[in-house]
Amino acid sequence: MSDFLISSFTIAGIYALMALGLNLQAGWSGLLNFGHIAFAGLGAYATGIVIQAGGSGWTGALVGVGLAMALGWAVARLGRQLGSDYWGIATLAIAEILRTIATNEGWLTGGAQGISAIPSLFDGLPRPWNAVTFLGLVLAVVAVAALSLRRVANGRFGRALRLMREEPQLAACMGYDLKSLKTRALMAGAAVTALAGSLYAHYMSFAGPDYMVASETFLLWTMVMIGGMGNTAGVLVGVLLVQAAYSAVPFAKDWFGFGSDLAGALRLGLIGLILLACLLWRSEGLVPEKLRKIPA
Amino acid sequence: MRFSIRSVLPGTSLALALAGAGFAAQAQETVQMGAVLSLTGANATVGEDVRRAVGLAVDKVNEQGGVLGKKFAVVIEDSGGNPTTALNAARKLVSVDKVPVVIGEYSSGITLPMAQYLVKEGVTHINIASTSVKIKDLGATAFNLIGLENLGNKFSAADTWALGYRKVAMIAPNNAYGQGVAHGFKEEFEKLGGQVVTEVLYTAGQSTYRRELQQMSRSNPDAYVYTAYGQESAVLNREAFELGLRKTPWYAILLSMSLSDTPAEIAKGQLGMEVGSVYGDAGKAYAAAFAAKYKEGMKTSYTGYAYDAVMMTAAAINKAKSTQPAAVQAALKDIGKGYVGVTGPITFDADRQRIDPPYAKLKYDGKVVPR
Repeated sequence: MSDFLISSFTIAGIYALMALGLNLQAGWSGLLNFGHIAFAGLGAYATGIVIQAGGSGWTGALVGVGLAMALGWAVARLGRQLGSDYWGIATLAIAEILRTIATNEGWLTGGAQGISAIPSLFDGLPRPWNAVTFLGLVLAVVAVAALSLRRVANGRFGRALRLMREEPQLAACMGYDLKSLKTRALMAGAAVTALAGSLYAHYMSFAGPDYMVASETFLLWTMVMIGGMGNTAGVLVGVLLVQAAYSAVPFAKDWFGFGSDLAGALRLGLIGLILLACLLWRSEGLVPEKLRKIPA
Repeated sequence: MRFSIRSVLPGTSLALALAGAGFAAQAQETVQMGAVLSLTGANATVGEDVRRAVGLAVDKVNEQGGVLGKKFAVVIEDSGGNPTTALNAARKLVSVDKVPVVIGEYSSGITLPMAQYLVKEGVTHINIASTSVKIKDLGATAFNLIGLENLGNKFSAADTWALGYRKVAMIAPNNAYGQGVAHGFKEEFEKLGGQVVTEVLYTAGQSTYRRELQQMSRSNPDAYVYTAYGQESAVLNREAFELGLRKTPWYAILLSMSLSDTPAEIAKGQLGMEVGSVYGDAGKAYAAAFAAKYKEGMKTSYTGYAYDAVMMTAAAINKAKSTQPAAVQAALKDIGKGYVGVTGPITFDADRQRIDPPYAKLKYDGKVVPR
């Protein structure tokens, strides 16, 4: 039992990192990134490929973060002529292109079979300490990321991002370089997400094109939207809630004794229902962003 | 940090409460094994079909007195057609339900990572539906009941050659399964002297495949050879029909999977092959029991393998007099020295792969029938 809880929290932690990365872009900067999972995919694949080539996990993670930041930079530059909604569609396309490359370049990525047998971290420790230590590592990374992102959000950079989101013209008038702001937000979010992808590859011992499907991006969006866009604590709440719903359904099935066919539908339905309820009654999310009023 | 504990608590306690509930349910006096099936997603039809077979096998075992004098049950989890959910499901089966054996999943891209986890945990995995050749290399606690694609490709290449096709156009999904079939079929077909004039790997989940179909039709083949998951092949078949491509013969690799969601009037006349389904007297009795319980026949050929896997597991637990994974595996190896299953005789080789898995030549005539 505790094994399963540890595993659920580990996965939740990894998703939390990705969602924090998305929140920096979508929540604070108002960038409609629909291809966010590509950054995580880069992290996962870089880890798998580097380890296959005989490198260490650390090198893999660093390469993944580097590549994701480069992609973030390119994405920010690429669409500077596009309106935000068109730019969102372009990011979706970029993620799909990456997934197609991963599926087809078998010599590098293992093709559709993916890369398996990626060593999980801390395998040397006796059970259950290997899983506990991994969870500890993930939680530590999440804590560091959440705290530093919160610090950034309350600082000058975060204020500039929010100003860009709300009043881009005003931000430009005040001398902010919007292009640079966007680029930095994307690159920072990409780095956090790639790190999560790298941890994910270690945890699942596998990296495959199925990790990069668009529905994973929308899962992250769901988490961020349910929790509260633009609020670090909100994002974490959203991740926990969605992950709890995902993990709880199989048990609910055993407990209430309804059929396993219904459980699958229930899992999808439940997430949809939570999202719908949030959109109807708490459109800002469960823990909404606190906007500070400047005293007159 | 302004981290409102009050808002985190409900989610966490919900998970804990429900998890605890699951733990209580597990304490009942039953012997359990696990199954991970695609009950939602593109292969839901196959998943549901296999679920029915599992239900039938459980009833049968319990009629015969259960396992170790207790009630027998299979805990079925949904894979959602995605590897993360499938792996979580397997983790739940192993660490919460503590099952000695897990069967499933359907697509190789999901089965491989999931089975690797099971093998690492020392839990038995029985493959009932995935056909990637990598299944052979999973490791010490993995068993396989179904013919893998190297054998399947050889069979379908020989079959299409015997039907008189020399120039074929081929379409398959761009995933682990599709790539293996497309490349393997081509290799075997060229060995016989045939030619694959167009090879298309389609991206799953599109709303239309007209571009792919038109690309194939330009090469004027003798026949179209394809394989596709049920709901995608429904689109493929309908559009091929609308484009007039059905004047040329269509040959499906894994016919029952490909036609599981296609309406009868469009599917009519298709030829194909399939992993062997029900075989001999045991098979007939099984098919009759299936039809009696569910008021309709099996839609796919995988149900028999799932049924055999569940029955063999129950027999192995009885033989081992224990649910310890290692003891069950030893018993399973012993039983697999000539077990009469509903898919035919089952014998494992030294790598726990079934020797001589069956294949069938089929056509669609209102339903899938032998030809």
